[in-house]
Amino acid sequence: MTGQITPAPDHATALPRTGRIGMLLQRSEAARGYSLLTPTLLIMTIGILVPFGILVTMSFWTQAGFGFDTALTTANYEKAAERPIYGALLTRSLKMSAMATIATVLLSYPMAYFVAFHVHRNKMMWIVLITLPFWTSYLLRVFAWKVVLGYEGVINSFLMTLGLIEAPLEFLLYSQSAVVITLAHAWAAFAILPMYVSLEKIDRSLLEAATDLGDGPMARFLRITLPLSMPGVISASLLIFIPTTGDYITPALLGGPDGAMIGNLIQKQFGAINDWPMGAALSIILMLSIGAIALGFMAATNFVRKRIS
Amino acid sequence: MDVVDQLGSVKEGKLSRRTFTKSLLAAGVGVVASPMVPRQAAAAAEDQGTFFTWGGYDIPELFVPYREQHGEDPNFAIFGGAEEALTKMRGGFVVDVSHPCNSGLPRWVKSGLFQRVDTSRLSNWPNVMPELVELNGNDPQDGKVWLAPFDWGQTSITYRTDLFEVEGEESWDMLWDKRYSGRLGSLASGGDAWWCGAIKAGVPMNEIHTDEAFTKIAAVMREQRPLIRTYTDDTTTLEQALSSGEMVAAMTWNSSATLLKSEGVPVKFANVKEGALTWVCGLMIHKDAPNLDLAYDIIDSLLSVESGKFMINDYGYGHSNLKSFDDFDDETLQSLGLSKTPADILAAGHFQVPQSQEWETKMNGLFEEIKSGF
Repeated sequence: MTGQITPAPDHATALPRTGRIGMLLQRSEAARGYSLLTPTLLIMTIGILVPFGILVTMSFWTQAGFGFDTALTTANYEKAAERPIYGALLTRSLKMSAMATIATVLLSYPMAYFVAFHVHRNKMMWIVLITLPFWTSYLLRVFAWKVVLGYEGVINSFLMTLGLIEAPLEFLLYSQSAVVITLAHAWAAFAILPMYVSLEKIDRSLLEAATDLGDGPMARFLRITLPLSMPGVISASLLIFIPTTGDYITPALLGGPDGAMIGNLIQKQFGAINDWPMGAALSIILMLSIGAIALGFMAATNFVRKRIS
Repeated sequence: MDVVDQLGSVKEGKLSRRTFTKSLLAAGVGVVASPMVPRQAAAAAEDQGTFFTWGGYDIPELFVPYREQHGEDPNFAIFGGAEEALTKMRGGFVVDVSHPCNSGLPRWVKSGLFQRVDTSRLSNWPNVMPELVELNGNDPQDGKVWLAPFDWGQTSITYRTDLFEVEGEESWDMLWDKRYSGRLGSLASGGDAWWCGAIKAGVPMNEIHTDEAFTKIAAVMREQRPLIRTYTDDTTTLEQALSSGEMVAAMTWNSSATLLKSEGVPVKFANVKEGALTWVCGLMIHKDAPNLDLAYDIIDSLLSVESGKFMINDYGYGHSNLKSFDDFDDETLQSLGLSKTPADILAAGHFQVPQSQEWETKMNGLFEEIKSGF
């Protein structure tokens, strides 16, 4: 290989150098790995590590008028612990997004199950059809829910035409339930796909074996299908829980005064309130809480899985 | 030939792999080349100036003279509140012209992000009402000002005359009326709501920075919060809610009432007894404005009589060009809550007093807590 790129003889000195690098790359598998990873590592560093470093540093600063007071202090974190609004909004966000996650997984599982086990032809088309609503913009879907849940919206007009209610139901829009419903719909594709993949992978002969050994459909599902599809369920839950906790556009449009989440407050810190260090501190706190919950969740499911198998 | 057809032909051996690869290559070239076409089309838009403004001002009616000169409208970027806009520009967003209001003027100037407007370059400047130019912090020097005044108006209550029963005189108490709990709306931005709270609480505008004022205003805002259906910066949301009857009264600017009236919705813009909140907004040029000449054309277009007539007639806002008022009789102006001598209106209400950046941060932080229920 190196022989082909050997430079002309009068540049003989260059030969050993290329050779040495080439030899090093050939000999050390780690070096080869790293050189292949370089573009990814570069993007990770520029796109994630550096901004994260800035965020962490900024969270220890304080806002002073238009500028920052760069003396390091934990004032922001103390403020977050002292004032009740931050903790309460964080808990509310975690609760709402946990509800949205559970709702999404419960609603999506049957769909994934159906496509994996009962669709035999044109599976790809089914998958595409399931994801079709997600080809529209996220914002559009949120607005669509505003139309559905609104005061003169689809549900209210329907119930009023039937004569079931006299006046429109006001709790549908501008409430926590409106946010949970919208999140559950908007993120469904992210739940269906991983669960479909893990359901699809299940070896059908295991199910046959279970039937042969006398398990009914329910027992078979609980003892074979569900445990084997757990990886999909877990990744779906994490995929939905993590981004929805920090969501701000859905609560901003549908939440009303009682449906605001921590993401709205963080956005306000970087906007109208103009306290970037506090916003940074809140982002870090949010990230740590989500991280802790995700780790706890994974540890718990691991534990359960070991107990089952 | 359709790609699927081609795949079939490959399978059947009718189409050689080479021909298929060739058509793939053609498709690839097409995909790579296609972004160039819209890029050329978009180049025209890039040649226009950018106007960073409140929602509702991004309409062709305000840019008739500009369009005559340049063939199309300027580009628009929209904000929901002036604080949000300033933060965005401090974060590096460069525009040609932006649209702050009098209460933010000194802070916007202090941010160092703007350049003075050379009024000799504006053909409509001689008709601009001088009392609007003399704002706190505008500091005119040698025909150069920081802010070219454009529109002025009031923040008050728009209410449904058929659904809201007014007890006695119209007053700010209407937005604190427990009979209509859950059917009242408010602007979300502290730049409006907090000041209206100050009027309700009886705090004079020039004392709004005191700790006592903070306690008083916070108390009335907390009292109001459970009655509010939603806080929003989007005036359309409030207008739709008022028109459907979801809300019976909401804190709005002049335009909401005027727009709803023109739609035939029975609403009135309250002439509150405590006085409305009054403001003047205007245009500032970014210090690094990439299209300085176009920036002046944008401002000139907004200050023109055509734009002024539209602002008065369709939005119900005051305009800074005196000649815009010529076509309107006093009765019409009075019904819109306007006058040819803006000083009358501005002095009759409560005119916002500019505050420090620390005050804005503290106020917005506190107001966010209150809106979230704390």
